This record gives sequence, structure tokens and C-alpha cells, in this order.
Amino acid sequence: MTGERVPLAIEGLTVYHHAVDAPVIENLALSVKPGEIRGLVGESGSGKSITCMAALGLLNDDWQISGQIALAGNRTLQAVAERRGFDAAMIFQDATSSLNPIQTIGQQLTETVARLRRLSRATARRVALDLLKRVDLPEPEARYDYYPFQLSGGQNQRVMIALALAGQPRILFADEPTTALDVTIQSQILELLKSIRDETGMGIVFVTHDLGVIEDICDTVSVMYSGRIVESGPVTDIIDRPAHPYTSGLISSMPTLAGQIPAGIAGQVPAPGQRPTGCAFAPRCSEARPDCRTEPPRLVAFSAGRDVACLNPLGGNHAAEQSRLDHRHCPNKSTRQEPIAEIKNAACDYRVGGGGVFRAVSNVSFDINDRESVAVIGESGSGKSTIGKLLLGLEAPAEGEILFSREPVPLLGTVLHRAYARFVQLVPQNPYLSLDPRATIGNQIREPLIIHRIGTQAEQLHKRDELLEAVGLGPEFADRYPHEISGGQCQRAVIARALCLQPQMLICDEATASLDVSVQARIIALLRELQERFQLSLVFITHDLRIIRSLCQKVAVMQKGELVEFGTAEQVLSTPSHPYTRALLAAVPEKKKELA
Amino acid sequence: MMIRVITRRILRALLTLFLVVTFVFFVLRLTGDPVSAMMPDDTDPAIMDQMREDWGLNRPLAVQYADYWMGLAQGDFGNAYRDGRPALEVVSERIPATLTLTLTGFAFIVIVGFPLGILAAINRGTVIDRGIMTLSVTGFSLPNFFLGILLILLFSVQLRLLPAFGSDKWYNLLMPVFTLGTAGAAVIARFVRSSMLEVLSAPYIRAARARGVQERQIIWRIALPNAAIPTITVLGFMVGALISGSIVTESVFAWPGIGRLLIDSVTQRELAIVQTIVMLTAFSMVVANLTVDLLYLMIDPRQRYAATSGA
Ligand code: SF4
Repeated sequence: MTGERVPLAIEGLTVYHHAVDAPVIENLALSVKPGEIRGLVGESGSGKSITCMAALGLLNDDWQISGQIALAGNRTLQAVAERRGFDAAMIFQDATSSLNPIQTIGQQLTETVARLRRLSRATARRVALDLLKRVDLPEPEARYDYYPFQLSGGQNQRVMIALALAGQPRILFADEPTTALDVTIQSQILELLKSIRDETGMGIVFVTHDLGVIEDICDTVSVMYSGRIVESGPVTDIIDRPAHPYTSGLISSMPTLAGQIPAGIAGQVPAPGQRPTGCAFAPRCSEARPDCRTEPPRLVAFSAGRDVACLNPLGGNHAAEQSRLDHRHCPNKSTRQEPIAEIKNAACDYRVGGGGVFRAVSNVSFDINDRESVAVIGESGSGKSTIGKLLLGLEAPAEGEILFSREPVPLLGTVLHRAYARFVQLVPQNPYLSLDPRATIGNQIREPLIIHRIGTQAEQLHKRDELLEAVGLGPEFADRYPHEISGGQCQRAVIARALCLQPQMLICDEATASLDVSVQARIIALLRELQERFQLSLVFITHDLRIIRSLCQKVAVMQKGELVEFGTAEQVLSTPSHPYTRALLAAVPEKKKELA
Repeated sequence: MMIRVITRRILRALLTLFLVVTFVFFVLRLTGDPVSAMMPDDTDPAIMDQMREDWGLNRPLAVQYADYWMGLAQGDFGNAYRDGRPALEVVSERIPATLTLTLTGFAFIVIVGFPLGILAAINRGTVIDRGIMTLSVTGFSLPNFFLGILLILLFSVQLRLLPAFGSDKWYNLLMPVFTLGTAGAAVIARFVRSSMLEVLSAPYIRAARARGVQERQIIWRIALPNAAIPTITVLGFMVGALISGSIVTESVFAWPGIGRLLIDSVTQRELAIVQTIVMLTAFSMVVANLTVDLLYLMIDPRQRYAATSGA
């Protein structure tokens, strides 16, 4: 391919943040060949997004950039900004808020096409429609005049992709473009990106924290940790035989359909400016040697096509194997087969504007046995969260009944509900939102005891420390404020608060969805441990099918407000009977071998 | 469906008007008597009673109130007590002067407030930003009568550049408009700045930059329209502030508008005139609010959608 320009070549990129007064990205090299999809993976705070923003010249004056960035062969940092849109484009996680809310998608696209391809408005409009067709937006002519708020997240992401294609770029930066989407939509978008790559030969940098997605779409992968690339090479090689202990940790953190309990990685990414001398991963590394703490490892060739930055890389595949050996299926412990909660022919309506009602859940029946954990899965709009609200007494069933210990669940605001709230507690998705930013963690954990006037102050403090210990935080966290601790630690605090009144059932509504995989894995392990220790029943509402088997015995599959399948995790995941369950399973981004 | 939304809002506006008129009618009559306000204290009580009789002021309040509405229905706003001229005529004479002052004041607020706010936002954290924000704080913390007096002292008394009174030359407008508009412009500048900053950090701005949209385009074509939406509400409030501000400003500069007429009429208990002015003011506020609502529907597709699908 003569004349084919390298889509992306970054060398020696260092990004310095003035306020932090430390480099956030250090000496980073990254290149993408024509038609290559390169994954960029790492926990939050590892610098993935900053790298993309720097490559596109999108960082403002708070940042200082040095090194070489070449987009489609055009070198020098200054040129980057001028080539945006032409040589390089970017799509983002939240497509809906990445579009101008007060302009129709058609206008936005036509304007962009006219500008980038120097076309008249009329011609640009035709090209825009073609692009909307190309990205498989249903009924493109009609939707041309829609505003972003009238489209779904997946449809808006298609529009974003069309916008990115407007300038016929050679390289596309995709920053977690499918993270906010349902699995089936995610797999459609991934297919779309692959087919566009095949057609145009464009290179893609695909940023994600989900190794399953990397396996699905990427040819090569670069693993980032603390502002550096610690390992890179072909995807299959690296997933099968990670050389860097961090990569291995990430891989063993991934929940899989096969149901191993993910191991997770203790600790968290050091903030820029607080990175240890020597290897930044050393404090969390099980393979660390004394010299790891003095000498920062450089990225060197490991084997054909692979680089690793580690003084003591894992040979072969022992680490991955090791951590996977520890995994067990969730035991089918002999629960007393007595239902603690029963959902009987339940329906639930929401009032919508104009006096109409929307039936969120209809005719759903299943039981939750004592000390059993049940996963409620489904896509957004399936009614899975409504099930949680019904069980918590936050919504009243329009039909049927919800029983807890054979008694109807009392509704929020009634006298009985106050007592009921002791038995059933919620662990929500966003821990920061459910904690009071101005109260210490300790006081918030103790709060339920104060409200229900349980125990003396000394007893309450003792209970608080016991709970902090149980969720793996330790009493020293009692005096911290939510903003002083990480997302995973916040979620632990929320769990501790939920356990305070010794509930019999926890409702976890997407409780791990906003956490990094390494953290998510540890929260799941914690929930399992707590379930055993406190003899809890768990209702685990999630869109991520991979979490289920390591945690749940039963699975309820919801679609459009109806229960389409209910059974043991084993049955549902291995021999799904409903076509929708099969579609959901097929959309899970991970290699088919794991399904076997 | 749009029509239904608009009709509903107009009906609500009419209700507001009705309540305002009623409130003013009773408050005015319960707080003082026009006859004793007009006549010297030592007037023969019999004469005063006769005057009350003539003007219908000794009838029960409810009857007077009903009578007032009957008159209104026929376009009769009542007469001034002193010279017997129709109140509507007396008030109408003063409308052009006030309209000139408030409309110019409104233009001043927009023309000064918006650019300063935008300028501050795009130069966030710099000397320009800090300078504009300091000016803004000073602007809205100065009471406008005080600002007016300062201006007169400086330009008329000290520098002798502008006349302190008068209303027939264009330059007579300068000081009153500045007095009237400064606080509003300061508020708008501040509001536009924060609204722009919020919009400029929105994901769609970053996405536009990533597509290579020029910075100038981003500010004028994307950020400003989005930032202007919440600002419209504040501009609606400004109409109220302008009307009340004009009363003070007209007094300071002896401007022959409605504001001064109102003050004079209240002290003289010229009930018909006060009522007419209040009604007129309430009417213009209602129109301003309605305009704001309609502008919202025009500019913001999300509102339009909510309005039409919710109706
Ligand atoms: S260099 Fe040492 S501490 Fe760092 S990852 Fe390798 S073994 Fe672990």
C-alpha cells in the first residue's frame, strides 16, 4: 500500500498538568496502522482519555504537552488542531450530551459535512443522509429532523459516528463509546465500527475498561497504568498470557459467564504527583521485588510483537491460571427452600405527563428464597429497577401483591414501612449520591442506629467499627468524608450502612456498574462474603450478565416489563429457553470459548 | 396543541391582572381618603362630605368596586378628581416618555450585559474577567437613585457637560438610561458569564472541538444560543425591575413619565390615575412574562416538545 499514511503515531508524549504540578502521562508511545483497532485499557485515572485528548489537541492551557504526535502522517503538535475532523475524529461515552441539544441532528451533520468536505448545503444534506444510512440509523429521512433528546442513546451514538465520518478521517478515537449502552446495542455498535473499519481502512483507538469489549473488537491492545503503557501487543496473546502483573490482575478481575469469582486488584491507582519512585504498580503487585521500588521499568520487547514494562514479568501463563484456579462457582448451598419474598402477578404503573399511565411491569411472579441471591437482568426500560422499588415498598403494585415473610410489603410513608425498612435495604448504583458529602463515613454508618434509637453511644460506635471492618475498610475510615475516599471505598461504606440494622435482604441496583472492573470484582467478592456471614438474601439488579454466575443462584430475565425467563443461573446461562435471553447472552462481549 | 398551551397561558395572565387590579382597588381605598388629601385641614366638613357624595366615595366599597368594573367594561377608566380629565388620557400622555426610557434601558442592559458576560466567560480567570466581575458587583450594589445623583453631580454640576433635567434632546437620555440600566446590565453580565461557562464545559462543546469547529463558531453558534435560553427568564424579570427602577429614575431626573405621575397621584390620592397606572404596569409585566414563555417555546426544542406532548 504505497502512499498509505500511518493513521496515528505518538512518540515520547508527556502531558504535564500545571495545577497538579506533575506529569499525568509520561513518555508514552502509541501507534495505529491502517485498519488496525487498538484497545487502550486500564482503570480510571490511568490516563486513557487524556492520551486521546492530547492526540487531538483538545487539552486546554492547564496542560502542557511535549513529544511527537502525528495524525495521518502530519507531524508537529501545532498542526494537530487544524487537522481535527479531517485526519482524526473522536466519539465519546455519552453520545446524547455530546450533541448540541437545540439543533436537529440533520442540521448538525449537514453543517459538519459542508464544512469538512467543502460542499454546498444541498449536496452536504444528501451526503449527510447517506451517512445516517451508513450508520444504520433507522428511518434516516424522518430522523433527520429529530433533536438529540428524541433519540435513544444508541441512536445518538450512531449519529456521533456519522459526524465522525463526515471528514473521512484516518484515525478515530473512541472513548468508551458503548459503556453507557445496553449489551445488545453495544454489540451492534461494535459491529458497525468493525464494518466501517473494513470499508475505509481507518485506524481506531478504542478506549475501554472492559476487556471483554477489547477481546471482541480489537486487534491489538495497550494496557495503561498510571500514565504509562505497561504492556502492549496482539489481543489474543495478551489475554491468554499476560506478562505484566497488572494486565493479569485486570484479566482476573473480569467477571465471566462461566462464573468464576473474579479476584480483583487491591489498592488503587496512585494520583499523579503521588506516584512511587520505581514501578508505579509496585504497591499493588504480588510479584514485586526490592529493585522494583527503585528502578522504573521501561517498555521493552518481550516476545514477537509484544512489549512489557516490568522487571519481573510473568512467564507463560502462570499468573492468569493461578488466579483463575482460585475461582469457584457460586456454591448451590442448601438454602432453606422457603421464600422470604414473593412477587405474585405484580404489575406497576407510572404516571406520565398528560394524565396517562405507563405500565412498567406487568404480571411478574417469582420468589426469592431465604439466603438466596437472585439476579434480575434486562436492558434499560425492562422494568428491572421497578422490581427493586416494589420490593423496597417505594412503589405500590397496581395489580398482584408483593410479600415479605408472608406479609404484604408496606408502602413508603406508612407507619409499617419504618419497621419494614430494617429488613430490606438498598445498595444503589452511585455511592457518592447516596452519601451526605458533609458528614463523615462513620456518622453515616451509625445514623440508622441513631434514628431507630438502638443501643448506647458506646455500643453504636462499636457496631460502626465492626461494620467498617466487615466491609474491608477498617475503623480509620470513620472520620473521613465521602470525597476523600475512592468510588469503591464509598460503595463499601454504603454497604456497611445498609447492613447496620441487620437486614434480611439487600437490593443491589446496578451496585457495581459505575466501578472499575478491578474494584467491581472486589465488591462482588465482598457481597458474597457478607451474604454468607450475615445470612442475607440478595437481589442483584444488573445489565451485566457476566456478574451473575459468580454471585447468584437464580436469574430472572426481564424484557419490556415482563418476566421472560426464571430459573437457576446454571439453566438460564447454559440452556436459555427464551429467545431474548439467548440474544442477550450472544451480545455479551467475550470470547465464545468462555461460553463452552 | 401549541394553541392550547398558549391559550392556557393567556388565561392565567388575565387572572393575574384581575387579582392585581382588585388588590390595588381595595388597598388604595382603605389607606386614605382623596378628599382630605386634597383639601386643606380646616375645610368645612360639610363641604368635604358633599365632595365625597359627588365622587361616589361614600357608597359601600363593594358597590364602588362593581361600578369600577362596569366602567372598565365600557373603556372608562375613571376621571381625575382635580381637573376631571379622563384618567386614561392623563396617563397616556406620559406613556411615550416612559416607554423611551425603559426601552432604551432594556436595550442598554442587553447591549452591555451580554457582550461583557461573554467576554468574561471566554477570558475566564484573567484580568479581563476579574475586571468585568468587579464592575458588575459595583454596578448592582449601587442603589440607582444614588447613582443618578452621582451622575448629576459629576456631569452636570462639576463638568457641566450634560443638563441635569430635560427630556427633549437625545443626550438628555444618557444619564437616566445609564442610571436605570446599570444594575440590570451588571446582573445580566454575571448571569451570561456563568451560563456560558457552564455550557462551554458541556460535552457537546468538547465534541464540536474534536470535529474541528472553529472556536469563534463554537462560541457564537453553539455556546451562545444554549446559554441564552436560561438568560431569557432573567431578562423577563428585568422588565419588572425596569418599571420599578423607572419610578425612581424619573423622580431623580424630573423625567415627565408615568413613574413621576404615579408618585404624585399616590400622594394626592388620585385613585383613578393610580389604578390605571397599576393596571398598565401589571399588563406590561404579564406581556413580558408571556413573551418569555413564548420565546422559550420558540428557542428550546425540548420545551416545545414537552409543551405539545403534555397538553
Ligand atoms: S516491575 Fe516489579 S512491581 Fe512493577 S509490575 Fe513488574 S514485578 Fe510488579
